[in-house]
Amino acid sequence: MQNAKDSFYMALRTRLATINPERTILLRGAVRPGILVEETEAPMNQLPSDVFVLRWLGLGTDSDLPATMAREQCEIIYQTCGTQSFGGLDRGRSLSEMDEEILAMTVPHHTQKLDFTATPPAAMLTQVFWDEPAFASIVIQRDQLSRTATVLVYSYQEQGE
Amino acid sequence: MTATWFQAPAPVARRVRAFFAPVNRSAQTPVLFDPAQQGRFSLDAPPAPWISLGWIQNFVRKPLSKSAPMLAGIPASPLEQVRETLEAQVSLEFLSWTKLTMALATGSQHMNILAAAIGATASANGAQAVPAVTPQSGSNATQIMLAATDAQEFQVGSIVAVDVDNTGQTGYVGSPVVGAYIRQAIADVDYIRRVTFNVALVSAVSNSGLTLAEPLPGGAPVAGAKVQAVEGFVDREGGSFYHEWSALFVLEGSQGERVFFHYPRLQAAVGAEETVTPLSSKQQSGQSRVLLNGRFIALPVTDPLDNERVVCYRSFLPAANALV
Repeated sequence: MQNAKDSFYMALRTRLATINPERTILLRGAVRPGILVEETEAPMNQLPSDVFVLRWLGLGTDSDLPATMAREQCEIIYQTCGTQSFGGLDRGRSLSEMDEEILAMTVPHHTQKLDFTATPPAAMLTQVFWDEPAFASIVIQRDQLSRTATVLVYSYQEQGE
Repeated sequence: MTATWFQAPAPVARRVRAFFAPVNRSAQTPVLFDPAQQGRFSLDAPPAPWISLGWIQNFVRKPLSKSAPMLAGIPASPLEQVRETLEAQVSLEFLSWTKLTMALATGSQHMNILAAAIGATASANGAQAVPAVTPQSGSNATQIMLAATDAQEFQVGSIVAVDVDNTGQTGYVGSPVVGAYIRQAIADVDYIRRVTFNVALVSAVSNSGLTLAEPLPGGAPVAGAKVQAVEGFVDREGGSFYHEWSALFVLEGSQGERVFFHYPRLQAAVGAEETVTPLSSKQQSGQSRVLLNGRFIALPVTDPLDNERVVCYRSFLPAANALV
């Protein structure tokens, strides 16, 4: 299941770099596309603004099939205060921009499953696929707007996983 | 050892895509889909003459063929089976209203509402039309060359119909899709442009003619074709004409596998009907989407491979590396 999680994240990250190359984050001394997986970074008191944070939650399996299917729930959390140049008055627009980027990043709704323990990553036999994101209501905290989009990510367990 | 294959579970798909192509009614020739040569086509660029009608929903296939046992012996028991009837139906909902989806979802002629001449007598199909204009040489599927005075009659955003005059002919009319069957000569000179599927949206107008936002389905205007502005579309409950289409429904699975349902001959089984669906399940009386319902009866073809009569082909292209 880790391969599916890794493949999903890397698909979104690669697509984001194309959709909005300016959305980046400086993380551990490196500038990267503005999307990260919470569980693979040091614990944070506060999530960074203007980037997408993937948080893996629920897990379900269906083992009655020829290949066990895993369904993993991924929350994509993002928040913004708008830009300084507009005094934060564009925070609604900034959040809408991030909404649209999530929609664009998740299309097409599948990607090749890759094994990232190999270098370079090795293509596996199946595809990881997912549903359309379900957007939650905006949460307002003073000048900060945040939202969570939930995506159900499906994959088949392959031999050796 | 690294696995090079996997056991694929049943296909998982989000939605179904529909493609239609007109049956050549005069020659009684359906359009055939060849899964061997065309199976991996891009769903956004179907092979000619297939026309994409986009995603559909509530796609339901009903095989209605009946088999019956041949009984023998005392007491009688089944000896063999025979197929008594050959029939199938398909139903679906189109997610858009276009000339083609409306035509498919109605049981009779589908007409263009031609822009009416000033002072013309009212008619349920649209009044007598503004006279058609003649394309000039150099026209093609996306560019209709016109005299400057003719071009001024059209505006950006208007729809045009391009086809020949009705000169009293009978039989199947309309190009490239048969729009009607004329049993007895009709006086309306614009009748063929009323039923033609050769329509497109105008994206630009200049003194030299019209630029179209999409190619005319019939390609460059044929000799004798004329152009008229279209206000919208109209169809009727009743009538004796049935459109006939070849249809291809594609279900693309999560692992890249594809299932094709190919009906060489489909005719509408019911008149025009719609389904109204509230946009919000929590507010039934709020905004609602109106979807065109299509219900079709499949007609048989004789498969030249073995001369069997069939109504549908179901093809499956497995996912890469999947055990079969």
